[in-house]
Amino acid sequence: MNGGDDADAPAAASLDRDDLTPEGQVALEALLFRLAADEFVHAERLTEWQIFAPTIESDLALANVAQDEFGHARLWYDLLRELGYSEEECIWRRAPDDWTHATLVERPFADDGWGDAVVRTYLYDVAERIRLEALVDTSYAPLADRVGKALAEEEYHREHALSWLERLASDDEARERLQAALDDLFPHALSLWYPGEHETEIRAAGLRRESLASMREEWLDTVVPTLEGYGLVVPEPDEIDRPAARGRDGSHTDAWVDLYEAFTATHREVDFDRPARLRGEEA
Amino acid sequence: MIWEVFRQEKPGDYHRHVGNVHAPDREMAKLFAQIQHARRMQTNSLWVVPQSEVGEVDAEDATFGGRTDKSYRWAMTYNDIDASFAEEVADSEAEQREAARTRREQLESEGEV
Repeated sequence: MNGGDDADAPAAASLDRDDLTPEGQVALEALLFRLAADEFVHAERLTEWQIFAPTIESDLALANVAQDEFGHARLWYDLLRELGYSEEECIWRRAPDDWTHATLVERPFADDGWGDAVVRTYLYDVAERIRLEALVDTSYAPLADRVGKALAEEEYHREHALSWLERLASDDEARERLQAALDDLFPHALSLWYPGEHETEIRAAGLRRESLASMREEWLDTVVPTLEGYGLVVPEPDEIDRPAARGRDGSHTDAWVDLYEAFTATHREVDFDRPARLRGEEA
Repeated sequence: MIWEVFRQEKPGDYHRHVGNVHAPDREMAKLFAQIQHARRMQTNSLWVVPQSEVGEVDAEDATFGGRTDKSYRWAMTYNDIDASFAEEVADSEAEQREAARTRREQLESEGEV
């Protein structure tokens, strides 16, 4: 599915760190920060469900999904570390408006928001599969090495979200909650596909093989019929009022500031010289 | 609804009971069992079985193993006997061992060809 504009791009897994051009490295960093921030913030939100999910089993399952996503964030942050960034610069002391995650993952859950968690993980996990698949033949070899690991875990996530969707949608009241969550989240989910500043260079360097537009198309072709199949009404993507916060350009909803304050608070209070690393992927 | 979970570590092993999960149906039970009973353990396969489908007979219903003294089943009496007086038995056992060894060597050498 190569578009014409990256036909001259470097071949799959042909680049290592020392082969990057200065522009290529900037583009790679932008791509990695985007990926890592999506995973990290999504996981951070999901952990709010711990001890509050409807049953112990669903609690464990969602905590497990969150743990996997933190693991994926680690995969991408480790690549940034190899490019010279410290973990503090990547996360704990990274200015909130330098974060380029989609606004979908920063949204707070509604008070009775299990349907919100289900819709959100579904929209996110389908998107994640599509974008990981578009990275399988990335030109950057260290990235190519890691994509497979993340892809292997995503299948469970989608299956989990779909199973819940199917069951909640079969109940009238639960379906109404799903619909409310979808109406809230869908405009923010579209920000998954907004280009960032370095999109042209990301394609030119062969870092990602597909355009965001075609990935967005594939995502819509998957999620829209599925959600409609469960009796939900999906807002027309091109007629939605786009939220002012774009996510990918560092602008975010107010909820992000609170979340950021919360997860960086301990780091600021403890004032480590270096953040502790529990377990790293030393690939 | 409660689903009993059985885990098999390696192909060919028995599935052993490891606990249960609450789930509304089989699909969800399989999803939950993966996390709850296989995430941190070596696993080749999991079974989930509706608890209500498990047939049980317990110690109140049955006298397992009977009630009479069946210690005769355990041939403990012969354990400490010096069998050297029965040379023909010892010889026969030695022969059988030798035959088994020859057979094994033959099979191995055939395997190499």
